[in-house]
Amino acid sequence: MTGALLWYLNRATGITSLVLMTLTVVLGTVVRRHGRIPGLPRFAVQGLHRNVGLLSALLLVTHVGTAVVDSYVDIGVSSTFVPFASGYRPFAIGLGTLAVDLLVLVVASSLLRNRLPLRLWKAVHLTSYLLWPLAFVHGITAGTDLGGGWLLAVVLGCAAAATWCSIAALGARRATPPPAERAAAALTAASDALVTGTPVGVFRNG
Amino acid sequence: MTAMTAMTGPCLVRGLLDAPGSSYAGHLAAHGPLPDVDLHRLAEEAALTGRGGAGFPTAAKLRSVAAAAAAGRRAPVVVANGSEGEPGAAKDATLLVLAPHLVLDGLALVAASLGAATAHLATEQAMLSALAAQLAERRDPIGVRLHPVAGAFLSGEESALCAALEGKPPLPRTKFPPVRERGVDGRPTLVLNVETLARLALIARGNHRAAASMLVTRRMEIAGTPWVDVVDMPLGSRLGDVLRLDGVQAVLIGGYAGTWVEAGRAADLRLDRGGLAPVGAALGAGVLAALPADRCGIAETARVVGYLAGQSAGQCGPCLNGLPRIAAALDLLARPAPPPSGLLRDVQRWSGLLPGRGACSHPDATVRLVASALHVFSDELARHRAGRCAGRFAVSFLPVPGVRR
Repeated sequence: MTGALLWYLNRATGITSLVLMTLTVVLGTVVRRHGRIPGLPRFAVQGLHRNVGLLSALLLVTHVGTAVVDSYVDIGVSSTFVPFASGYRPFAIGLGTLAVDLLVLVVASSLLRNRLPLRLWKAVHLTSYLLWPLAFVHGITAGTDLGGGWLLAVVLGCAAAATWCSIAALGARRATPPPAERAAAALTAASDALVTGTPVGVFRNG
Repeated sequence: MTAMTAMTGPCLVRGLLDAPGSSYAGHLAAHGPLPDVDLHRLAEEAALTGRGGAGFPTAAKLRSVAAAAAAGRRAPVVVANGSEGEPGAAKDATLLVLAPHLVLDGLALVAASLGAATAHLATEQAMLSALAAQLAERRDPIGVRLHPVAGAFLSGEESALCAALEGKPPLPRTKFPPVRERGVDGRPTLVLNVETLARLALIARGNHRAAASMLVTRRMEIAGTPWVDVVDMPLGSRLGDVLRLDGVQAVLIGGYAGTWVEAGRAADLRLDRGGLAPVGAALGAGVLAALPADRCGIAETARVVGYLAGQSAGQCGPCLNGLPRIAAALDLLARPAPPPSGLLRDVQRWSGLLPGRGACSHPDATVRLVASALHVFSDELARHRAGRCAGRFAVSFLPVPGVRR
């Protein structure tokens, strides 16, 4: 089967999926930092992270499906999960396959989160930081029309957002004081606040 | 200096602390060898309750750990908890000095009846060398591992203690799964207070009245001198018979996780679960403190709450953010000057936001203490608003680590 529709669908779902994945990573770092999005309670940020992630996975199914079905290029069914098995641009497609494999693990472990040890889930979930660059490099190497214009701008924008948020999240993780010191700091801040009359900030548990 | 003895008052029987000393030979001569008994049935019949503070039925605990061990086919771990994080209490330390072999007997009994993999005893560092020597005298089938505990208020909480025994920071964990199912190293774990174990050792020897009394740390002032002692008190005693209440304005029942009660209402209270329930109090870890009339109850409570706020594990938002604010507000209320308007209302509002929202019950207990203080010392609050204070002493009556006594 070939046709312009398959090719358009493939490109559209690929780029949309990358944008949604970026959004998932950004929302994930907000969840990680116990942050808030104006107008949304914390549990809604968590829900948004989950649902945007699931949506990007759903689009990815279409992306992979159209690539396999389209007989214009030689991408076999085996390339869905076996990396570097494609006849067409084996390296670029192989990166995409690796990203799909990781995504399946991340989604499956998150759906089973209540039944898995927390550490296992966390270890698998952290591979998202590897998943995103794989998908990104797959996009810019396998993509056929990145020559310039708005598509390149979108891709670079995604890269900037994901990198910025990841660095901020990892940095904030190091900045969290150990539990024993949090109580003492909160006590000092609360006393100072009452004496000077300034409102006291919120201390983050961790 | 405070006096610390195992004094017995007129109404108090000598029991647990009527010890022959810390030698094993003396212990055997006084109590006889440990018989082979059905511990679960005996604990059930004696209706023994835990003496660590919560007062949970010991037989139920034994049964659930045995069931969890059988279900998971893993040998359980037993832990003797002598950490006594409560600064007002001294009964665990007193018991471990006066009758260490009763505690070790209890630990050996429980370990044998559950088929435990390991037995641990956790207490303050200073006690460990004496305990090691006493352990060496005995020939228990299961070796007991001794652990020092950090002197923090929460290090005796059972999940925090299990974390410490695994070599992790002593911080409370979530209630689920409970330590009786997954405790030390993921094994079903039975954590019992050292006094509970000593009472089990007496019950096993046929002393059925052992479960009917409780070790109590008394704090009072006699002729202007601070007095602290530990007594073996029959449950159901009249409070007025246990503490001298002349010149006393209020009694703190249950320690820093406890409740203030006016001296007038306190005298005729029966000291057991049923007798204290009407005033919303419980014996907790067995601390009774009689606050003299020339002390400021609000200032005493403020110091204690300041200490408790600093002892938050910093894990749960409501506790980490709520307790320091309540402590800071109480500190202002404790001064003989009009407080900022609305402060009392703020304290009450914050207090309502805390209970039931922590992994452990630290915030719940602290809020209860604050609520009882604001109620019992309402006259004192009114005096403070008028710029006066009943307190005549700069040093605190209730001991608070890090504050001069």
